[in-house]
Amino acid sequence: MTALRMLWYLLWIAPHVLQVMIVNLMYRRGLYKRFPAFFVYTIFEILQVGVLLAASQVKRGLYPTLYADGLAISTAIRFWVIYELYIYFFRHYPSLSISARTLFRATTVALLLLAVGLAIFAPSVGPDGPLRVAYTLDRTVSILQGGLLIVLFLFSKYFALSWRTHGFGIALGLGIFACVELATSAVWLQLGTMESHRILINVMGQAVYLGCVFIWLFYLARPETVPAADAKALPPQDLEIWNRELERLLHP
Amino acid sequence: MTITIILIVVSFAALGFLFRLAKGHGSASELLDNPSQHLRPVDIEAFRNLIDPEEREFLRKNLSPVEFRVVQRQRLLAAAEYIGGAAHNAALLLRMGEAARHSSDPATAEAAEKLIRNAFRLRLYAFQARAGIYVCTLMPGVQISPVRVAERYEQMTRQVVMLGCLQYPTRGVPAAM
Repeated sequence: MTALRMLWYLLWIAPHVLQVMIVNLMYRRGLYKRFPAFFVYTIFEILQVGVLLAASQVKRGLYPTLYADGLAISTAIRFWVIYELYIYFFRHYPSLSISARTLFRATTVALLLLAVGLAIFAPSVGPDGPLRVAYTLDRTVSILQGGLLIVLFLFSKYFALSWRTHGFGIALGLGIFACVELATSAVWLQLGTMESHRILINVMGQAVYLGCVFIWLFYLARPETVPAADAKALPPQDLEIWNRELERLLHP
Repeated sequence: MTITIILIVVSFAALGFLFRLAKGHGSASELLDNPSQHLRPVDIEAFRNLIDPEEREFLRKNLSPVEFRVVQRQRLLAAAEYIGGAAHNAALLLRMGEAARHSSDPATAEAAEKLIRNAFRLRLYAFQARAGIYVCTLMPGVQISPVRVAERYEQMTRQVVMLGCLQYPTRGVPAAM
């Protein structure tokens, strides 16, 4: 077993060990009630790696089917997590809840059109057959998931809306993961499965996932805070400035 | 190959954006410690004048087409500056409103909620108006009327003063109200 392959195994197992800690933390703090989709996603990831490890030892022929099925379910749950993040973020702004639904639908449609357009007009030059379909699907999903999260972050930044710690951490980890997935799926489609770079890209992907799990653990372990809630009341001098502004508007 | 390169560049740009966000998360209090230092002056009357269709028609009739295009472009860019200032103040007030929303006094919390709603709408209109203005600077013949920005700014100002009165009841109601 080469050093690179050993590293790959280590990076494959380590995130899931940390995810056990995340499940424990979420259960103890009752965070599973606030983020049920993320809780289900984390448990599924742990179970999936257990099943895949067992399959790789007992019946290797079963491994690709189990891996593909697991990937499809995991991808679907990640969409649920993203929807949950939209709902969670806008729940703190009741007057903007209509904007949340509109934003989610409009962004999904726009990104779907973009991703499908890319799949049709920019096919791969790398692998053929089912592998090409799988990588194209992977790229489509990455565009959708990464795009949805980036749009949510851009929206919150432009409108100066603040994130709660836990929601921010989950979205940040998932966003980083989706961005790296987009880059790697684009590379896969271009280069195919040449052995020389296959393990290297896999190792990089696993290392990024480990980083994302660290981010989730870090933010979920912190107490929930609202950055803007630290603000003091409107200072009296500001009140006077605004009053002068109002007077000027009313009596120009 | 081009699409692959574009997607990789986009992914890295998105990653950079996410890391910047993570670095800045929770540092909003710097802005809120002394908001008056961050407020930008906005002369709504001057802004109304810049977007006034009658003023525009007057200039069109009295200037040569080339002069009109130059002047109109400068007027539109000045209007965009005002809108930028109003949008900046709205962002600041959004944060102030968010802090006041957690008040135990229901009247203050309600006033803060209204302030958030108006500041949010102002930023939305400002986004649309600025996009429209930049299009118009390329085509000075096209007419836009970002009057909703001025209206929303007035409403927002009233609500800030109202919120301030609720937070400092001993200071009394200002003459402007």
